[in-house]
Amino acid sequence: MNQNIWILMSADAIAIATTLIFAALGALFTERSGVLNLGIEGILLTSAISSFLAADASGSVWFGLIVGSVIGAVMASIHAVLSVVFRANQIVAGLALVIFGTGLANFLGKPAEGKTITTVIKPLSFGPLSDIPVIGPIVFGQDIITYLAIALAIVASRYLFNTRPGLELRATGDDPATVDAQGLSVARIRIRYTMVGGALVGLGGSWLMLAQSAGWHQAATTNGLGWIALALVVFAGWRPMRIIFGAVLFGFTLQLPFTLQAEQITFIPSAFLEMLPYLATLIALIALSRPGSRNSLGAPRALGTPFVRDER
Amino acid sequence: MMRIPFRVVFEQRGETPRRLSLLVPLASVLAALFFGALFLLATGYSPIDTYTNMFRDGFASFNGITDTLALSTVLICTGISAAFAFQMNLYNIGGEGQLYLGLIGGAWAGIALGDHLPTLIMVPIVLLCGALAGAAWIFVPAFVRSRLGTSEIVSTLLLTYIGASLIKHVIYTPDSFFRNPNTSFPQGRRVADSASLDSFGSSRLYPTFFVALIIAGALYWIVKRTEFGYRINVISDSPRAAHYAGINARRTTIWVMLISGALSGLAGAMLIVGPYGKIEPSIITLGYGYAGIVVAALARNNLGLIIVSGILFSGLRVGGNNLQVTTDTPIHIGVMLQGAILLFALGGEAFRRYHIHVVRVQDATARKAAV
Repeated sequence: MNQNIWILMSADAIAIATTLIFAALGALFTERSGVLNLGIEGILLTSAISSFLAADASGSVWFGLIVGSVIGAVMASIHAVLSVVFRANQIVAGLALVIFGTGLANFLGKPAEGKTITTVIKPLSFGPLSDIPVIGPIVFGQDIITYLAIALAIVASRYLFNTRPGLELRATGDDPATVDAQGLSVARIRIRYTMVGGALVGLGGSWLMLAQSAGWHQAATTNGLGWIALALVVFAGWRPMRIIFGAVLFGFTLQLPFTLQAEQITFIPSAFLEMLPYLATLIALIALSRPGSRNSLGAPRALGTPFVRDER
Repeated sequence: MMRIPFRVVFEQRGETPRRLSLLVPLASVLAALFFGALFLLATGYSPIDTYTNMFRDGFASFNGITDTLALSTVLICTGISAAFAFQMNLYNIGGEGQLYLGLIGGAWAGIALGDHLPTLIMVPIVLLCGALAGAAWIFVPAFVRSRLGTSEIVSTLLLTYIGASLIKHVIYTPDSFFRNPNTSFPQGRRVADSASLDSFGSSRLYPTFFVALIIAGALYWIVKRTEFGYRINVISDSPRAAHYAGINARRTTIWVMLISGALSGLAGAMLIVGPYGKIEPSIITLGYGYAGIVVAALARNNLGLIIVSGILFSGLRVGGNNLQVTTDTPIHIGVMLQGAILLFALGGEAFRRYHIHVVRVQDATARKAAV
């Protein structure tokens, strides 16, 4: 067995996990405020292509990342306005955003097809640390954004559970009436965090584009990562720290098919390996469910329900 | 903090005026088209040319109309599939995957049974097998939803990705039952002649269109007139009332989801007996299952309106698909417009449900009805 391939796989799994961490953190912030945004996949795609076009035009990946995040926030603002101001059905609104985002991204991506980007985000080098066998490439061979993702999850956890705004955010998702009685605007908080969430998802989509795929492959660019991120939030019980763990785990299942192919382990059909990440997510989702478990899992109690002061 | 002197007030309507029920969806579509026009202008395409072409190719020619009705055959089925579950707050958004299984189930029957039975018996068997395969694909999500409360939204969607891999598997595996053994190029094996229908004249419209209409009517009747339909209505209105009335919500949940899955599976089997006659891997890129969600949402899950929204939406798609051929506008503008129309329709809903007006802040606080 070629040890190098497995080390590379671990490094790649952590890299894929970066997109998942950003996307899942974005979904988590949104859902903690009580808004369910199923449009993550659409936001990922739109921000991915926007970042590609921006980086291609400007020659700067950092500019690409910024544009991608801003577009992510703009896309999320559509969902925020529909679900908070117009009190639309959030599930259908999220799906509409996926359809709209997919069409928009493919439309914008037309000129980018077949193009590759020359300026990609490069892994950092920690000198001798990166040369340590096994641990070196896995722990010290990632790019700066991957470390940022992990740091962000830690900060998000502190923010959510140890700060005043974090408490307000959690309260808005659990009991908006109380937040309202405190004189805070539920609508404003929800719109704000839906947009912040969108920016985080956008950052994940841009990173996926600029560090991972380095080419536009229409919907296959994200290939359902947005949906996996949504399941990951459930898996993590709406807690940022557990997202890191879950994202790495799903990162492994996403990388496994390529590794097994490289190892020429062919007794498992490749189609089955392709299914693996989705199957693993599904099994995890079912394993975590128990009768009446929505609250014990940690789901915000007002998730998906619009807040209306005078209709209670 | 900035003070805004005006405030938007939402007042719940006691009853929706009739004219609004018609006006709002219409205005939503127009608003979406207007948005699309701005977008087309910004990207250097002519909105007038684009829309004229879309309209002509979708509604105003013989081929346009028959192609639209042909597409609506599938979209009415996936639309009812979505709406039937949605009206009970069961969000089966994996109709796409159930449609893939319908392709597999239908093709299996069409190949395995061979050319022994008359078409009049064979075609219903193929359709039934597709429907059963679709229902089987949703069984696990339905079961865990009713027993454990597992989100059917995520589970049905994940199964769509798994279904897509399955389709690729049955076509690309060298000695697969579903693969044409006579070509080296991976292709689906054709079903028996008795399992495929002829289209009407020179059109691409198949008799399955009438099956779709009958199914739509039957489902409408089930919801409005049967005890099963009554149970669905009670559960969706008030789960608590249903509980006290002794209605078994678990069992109803499973049945509603299975029927929903079967309808998407049926849509897949219709593609087998109709235009394709085999499993065509490119079907997984067409998104007919997802489009069903849009059709359902535009009809506000009203089973009676699905036929109308299905046909209108199909026309939009047929027109949009032809854009690439008739002009150089990328095909994806059609998909984008679908999403935009749905987004505007959702926003427009608010105007139907609420009386929205802008007032000065002092009045707003007096009314105590502010956002």
